[in-house]
Amino acid sequence: MKISYKWLSQYIDIDLSPEELQTRMTFAGLEVEGVEKLGEDLNQYIVAEIKKCKTHPGSDHLSICQVNNGSDTKQVICGAPNCAAGQKVAFAPVGVSISDFKIKKVKLRGEESFGMICSEKELGISDNHDGILVLPDDAPIGEKLGTYLQQDDIAFEVEITPNRPDLLGIFGVARDVAAVLNVPLIIPEISIKETGESIAKHLALQNDASELCTRYTARMIKGVTIKESPAWLKQRLISVGLRPINNIVDITNFVMTEFGHPLHAFDHKLIKDKTIIVRRAKKGEKFPALDEQTYTLEKDDLVIADAVKPIALAGIIGGENSHITKETKDIVIEAANFLYSSIRKTAGRLKISTDSSYRFERDIADETAELVSQRACQLILELAGGKLLEGKLDSYPNPVENRIVGLRPSRVKKLLTITVSDKQIINYLEPLGLKLSRRETDLLKFEIPPYRKDLVREIDLIEEIIRLHGYNSVESFLKPQKIMDKTTFYTSRKIKDILVNNGFSEVINWNFGDPSDLNKLNIPTDDERRNNAELKNPLGSSFSIMHSMLIPQLLKNALFNIHHGQKNLKLFEQTKVFTRHNEKLATEKIHLSALITGNLHPVYWKEDQYPADFYDIKGIVEEILNALDISNPVFKVSSEKFYQPGLAVDVFLKERMVGSFGKIDSKIASKYDIEQPLFILDIKLQDIFELQKSVKPVFHDIPKFPPVLRDLSFVISKKYSYNEILNSIYSINKKLITKIELFDEYIGKNIKDGYRSLTFSLVFSSDTKTLTDDNINNILQKVIEKLKNDFNIEMR
Amino acid sequence: MKEEITRVLEAARSEIKKADSMHDLMQLKSRYIGKKSILNGLMQKLGTLSKEERPAFGKILNEAKVQISELLLQRDQEIKNLKYKKTLKKEALDLTMPSRKREIGTLHPITKVWQEIEDIFISMGFEVAEGPDIEDEFHNFDALNTPQDHPARDLSDTFYIEDDVLLRTQTSTVQVRVMENHKPPIKIISQGSCYRNENDASHSPMFHQVEALVVDEGVTFADLRDIMNIFVKKMFGEKIESRFRPHFFPFTEPSAEMDIICVKCLGRGCNLCKGSGWLELGGAGMVDPNVFSMLGIDSEKYTGYAFGLGIDRIAMLKYKIPDMRLLFENDIRFLKQFK
Ligand SMILES: [Zn+2]
Repeated sequence: MKISYKWLSQYIDIDLSPEELQTRMTFAGLEVEGVEKLGEDLNQYIVAEIKKCKTHPGSDHLSICQVNNGSDTKQVICGAPNCAAGQKVAFAPVGVSISDFKIKKVKLRGEESFGMICSEKELGISDNHDGILVLPDDAPIGEKLGTYLQQDDIAFEVEITPNRPDLLGIFGVARDVAAVLNVPLIIPEISIKETGESIAKHLALQNDASELCTRYTARMIKGVTIKESPAWLKQRLISVGLRPINNIVDITNFVMTEFGHPLHAFDHKLIKDKTIIVRRAKKGEKFPALDEQTYTLEKDDLVIADAVKPIALAGIIGGENSHITKETKDIVIEAANFLYSSIRKTAGRLKISTDSSYRFERDIADETAELVSQRACQLILELAGGKLLEGKLDSYPNPVENRIVGLRPSRVKKLLTITVSDKQIINYLEPLGLKLSRRETDLLKFEIPPYRKDLVREIDLIEEIIRLHGYNSVESFLKPQKIMDKTTFYTSRKIKDILVNNGFSEVINWNFGDPSDLNKLNIPTDDERRNNAELKNPLGSSFSIMHSMLIPQLLKNALFNIHHGQKNLKLFEQTKVFTRHNEKLATEKIHLSALITGNLHPVYWKEDQYPADFYDIKGIVEEILNALDISNPVFKVSSEKFYQPGLAVDVFLKERMVGSFGKIDSKIASKYDIEQPLFILDIKLQDIFELQKSVKPVFHDIPKFPPVLRDLSFVISKKYSYNEILNSIYSINKKLITKIELFDEYIGKNIKDGYRSLTFSLVFSSDTKTLTDDNINNILQKVIEKLKNDFNIEMR
Repeated sequence: MKEEITRVLEAARSEIKKADSMHDLMQLKSRYIGKKSILNGLMQKLGTLSKEERPAFGKILNEAKVQISELLLQRDQEIKNLKYKKTLKKEALDLTMPSRKREIGTLHPITKVWQEIEDIFISMGFEVAEGPDIEDEFHNFDALNTPQDHPARDLSDTFYIEDDVLLRTQTSTVQVRVMENHKPPIKIISQGSCYRNENDASHSPMFHQVEALVVDEGVTFADLRDIMNIFVKKMFGEKIESRFRPHFFPFTEPSAEMDIICVKCLGRGCNLCKGSGWLELGGAGMVDPNVFSMLGIDSEKYTGYAFGLGIDRIAMLKYKIPDMRLLFENDIRFLKQFK
C-alpha cells in the first residue's frame, strides 16, 4: 500500500523528516519496502518569465521569446498560440529530457532556440496540449516547478500485515505512528448538515444476504455538480498512485485511502425502482463492470442490485450501469461491510483485484462504515454542492459489541523482563484507541476499539506494549566476550585439515626438548632457537628444555616408525614452541612442522610407485599459504643448515622469514640413523597469523567468456629459472594471460647439454569480450619475441 | 522395368544386410535412394512410358524407395546395437580389483577429542581462551587459593624454570588470567598441555586438560550440574549418567569430583572401573569467594563455577585405548586408526 509523506504528516502533530518517519514506521511494525520521490520529474523545469515575444520573421505560427529563468535570459522559439510577453511559464532548459526526447540547442528557420516552453501535456500534468501552461503572476522566477506546484512528496510503499486491517488507511497508520512517538494525533473534523427531506422518500434498502453483508448504509445527496476535483485533492490521489476522475469518485477514493474503508457512489437516476437490494447473485447472472468486462456470476457471489439488475459486485467493483457520469445529479453513497472470505473467494475466482477488494478481503470493521459515510458526504457537500437528505438507510443486523480484554501487569514483566507501570501501560494503549474500563489488583481491563480485531487475548496487548516500548529497549544480557581469537582458532584448524586431507597424520610429542638436537641440526649458537626455557628439575638431560623447534621430534617419530617397518610416512605436528630471553615467563608461539618420506602414494596396481620429492613438500607449503590467503610469498634459497644445500627454500612474508621447506641433508639424517630421503616443512604459524589478520574468501565474478588455450614449446638454457620465464611471459599482458601451466620438461636426446625443452599451456581470457584469434596471435607473437630477446630461446 | 526394380530391391536388401558400419550405410543410401541413385535414374525413365503406365510404375518405384529407407533404418539400429554390445564387452572389468585410494591422514586422538569438546561448548555459548604453558607461581597457585605450604607446591611435583616460574600443573591458570582481564559475564573453556613431574605407567609428565569457567549474576550449582550432564551425554552418549562426589580443591567451594557411569560395563563393574561401575572424570565446584576477591570481582554480586577434565583420559575412554603411553609414541599404525 502506498502512503504519502505529506498526507500522513497532516495527522501527526510533529515535524518529522521522511527518513525519521520511515524509521518510526519500521519500528512500529510497518515494513517500508520502497520509497519513491514524487515530483522529481517536474523539478527539472523552472518557473520563468517571457520578457519579450515577437513573431518569427520566417514563420507566422512561431514566436521568438526572450525568457528570464532567474539567472539569465535565453532565446526560445515557441509554437504555442497563447504565448505572450509577461507570462510566467514552465521552462525546460537545454539538456532536459521529456519522455524520450532530449532538448537540445536548435536552429528553427534561422533563429536559435535554447530550450522549450511547455504545455501541461508535455509536463505530464494533464492531457491539455492546446497551448503552453501559464502560471499565476506571483509564481517566483527561478523556482523549480515541482516545488512551486507542491508536487514534491514522498510515497512509501508499505507492507500491511494481514492482522492489521486498521492500517489500511493513512489515518490508521498515523494513529499507530503517533502512538509510537507519543505525540497527539490530529483527527479530521467531520460534521454533516442534513436538510429537510427524508431519504426514505427516495430510496429503499433490502438486505437479503445478511450472512454475507454484515452492514450496509446508504446516504443520498441531491443536486451535485460533477466536475474536476480541486488541485489539492488530485495531488493527494496522485501521491498514492490513484488517477483522478471526477470530484465524486475522487472523494470516495480519498476517504477510502484516508480511513481504509472503501465506499461506492451510485447515480440515483440509474437505480431501478429506487430500491437497493443486497442479495446473492443468480447462477449465470451477467454483470457489466466498470472495467468494461462482463462477469458471469455464481450464487455465492454477493451483489448490490436494484429491482432488476446487479449494479455492483459487492465490495469489489461498481457496475457500468450505475456509475457517476457528467450528467449525474443525485447520488447514493454506499458504505458497507462484507464477509471477507466471500469477497476473497469472488475476487479470486473472477481474477479482479481492486483497492476496494484488497481492503474488504482483510476483514475490516463494520463500525467504520458510518465514519467514512459521514466523511464522504461532508467532502461532497463541500466540493460538489448539493443537499444531503435527512437520515440514512442502515442494515446492521448484528451490531458488534466492543470486546473487553484483561491484562496482568505482572505478566508483562514476566514475559518481557521490562518493568512498566500501570500508568505507562495505559499511556501506551490509549492512543491506539483502547479504553481502560476496569481496574483490579494486578489486572487492567481494556475495551478494544472495533477496528482492532487482532487484539483478543492478553498476549496481544503485551505485544502492543513491547512494540510501543521498543523491541530494542529490552536489555540483552549476553554480550560477546571478545576473549576468543576466532581467526587464529579456525585457521589453525583449517591448516590441520589441509594436512590431513593430503594424507598427513598428526603426532603429539611431549613439549620437552633435548639441547643436543640443536647441535645435531647445526642451529647456530646465536640463533633465536637457542634461547631456551631450561627446566631446573627435568626428567633427564634429553628432556631438559622446552622445545624451540619441532623437527627433531618428527625425525625421531620417523625413525621409530621406520624401525617398525613403516617406511612411507607423512607426519605433522602443530603446537607451541618456546623461547626465553630476559622476560619473566617465555615466548610461546604456535608452530607447524611436517615430514614426508618414502613413497608419496599407497601402492596401486595401475601406476608406478614414485618417491616423494622436493616438489611434493613445496606443493603442501603452497596449499597452506593459499589457505592463509597469502598470494605473494617470496621464496629465497634457504639459510637453514639442516637442509641439503641447494634443495631448500626460505619463505618470506612482508620481509619476515616465516618458514622454510626442503630436503634434510643426508649427513644430518644419518645422525638420526635415517638413510632414506626426508622432506620437511617448518612454518612459524603464529608469525603468519600476526602478519595476516584476516583470512576470508571474497567472491570474484565468474568469467563470462570462455578461455582460449595455446601451447608454447621451446628450448632454453638451464641457467634461466622457471620463475624468470614465467615473469617474462606475464609481463607482455598480465590482464589477458590469466594462467600459465607447465606441462612438460624434456631433457635428453636432441637437446643440447645445459639446455632443456619446456612446453607451456597459456590460458587467455578476458572479462569483457570473447578473444579473437587475431588478439591471441598478436600477444603470442610478442611473448615469443620477448622470450627470444631475454633468453635466446629456440622455438620447437 | 518392373523386373529391374525388383532386381535393385533385392541387391539393396542383400547389401544392406552385409553393411557393418555407419559409413557403409551412408554409401548404400546414396547409391540406392540418393540424387544420383539407381532408383532416381529409373524415375527419370518414367517419362518414356505411356501415360497409362506411368502412375502404376511411379507407385512401385516409390514403394521400393520407402522399403529401402526402412531397411537402411533398421540396419542402422542393428549396427548401433552391435556397437553398444561391443563397448560393453570392451569395458568389462574385474570389479573385485583394488580401487584407487586417496590417502587421507588423521588427527591425533587427543586433537579429535579436544575439537569435539570445543565444539560442544562453543555450541553452548562458550568462548575459547588461551594461556601460557610457562607460568608464574601467582597464576598457578596463589591466585587459586593454594597456600604456600600446600603439598601441591612441592618441587618434586612441579617442573620449575626458576624459583617462581614453572610449567603449569593445571589449566585453571587460564581462569585467573581471564578474570584479571575481563569483567563478568565470563563463559569460557580453555584447553592445553599441563605438566607434572612424574612418569610411570599411569602418569605422563605432560598431559592435556580442559577447564571451564562461568561467572555471572545468578550462576548456581544447578547450572554446573546441568552443563556437566549435557557435556557427558554429548561426549559419551545418552546412556551415560554422571554424579558428583564431595571433594577438596583449594579454589572451589563447594568442590566435587565428577564420575560417570563406566563406559565399558555401563555400571555393572569391570576391570576398567575396578568393579565400582563408575569412572572418575574430573573436578568441579563453585568458584571460591576468596579467588574472586583476590581478582577484584565482587563476590556478592557474582557467582561462578569451574571444572577441569583430563582430555587424555577422555580420549582413552572414548576410543578404548588401553595404555596412556600409546598416546605419545606416535606409531603410525596407531595414529591411522583414528579416521
Ligand atoms: Zn566398568
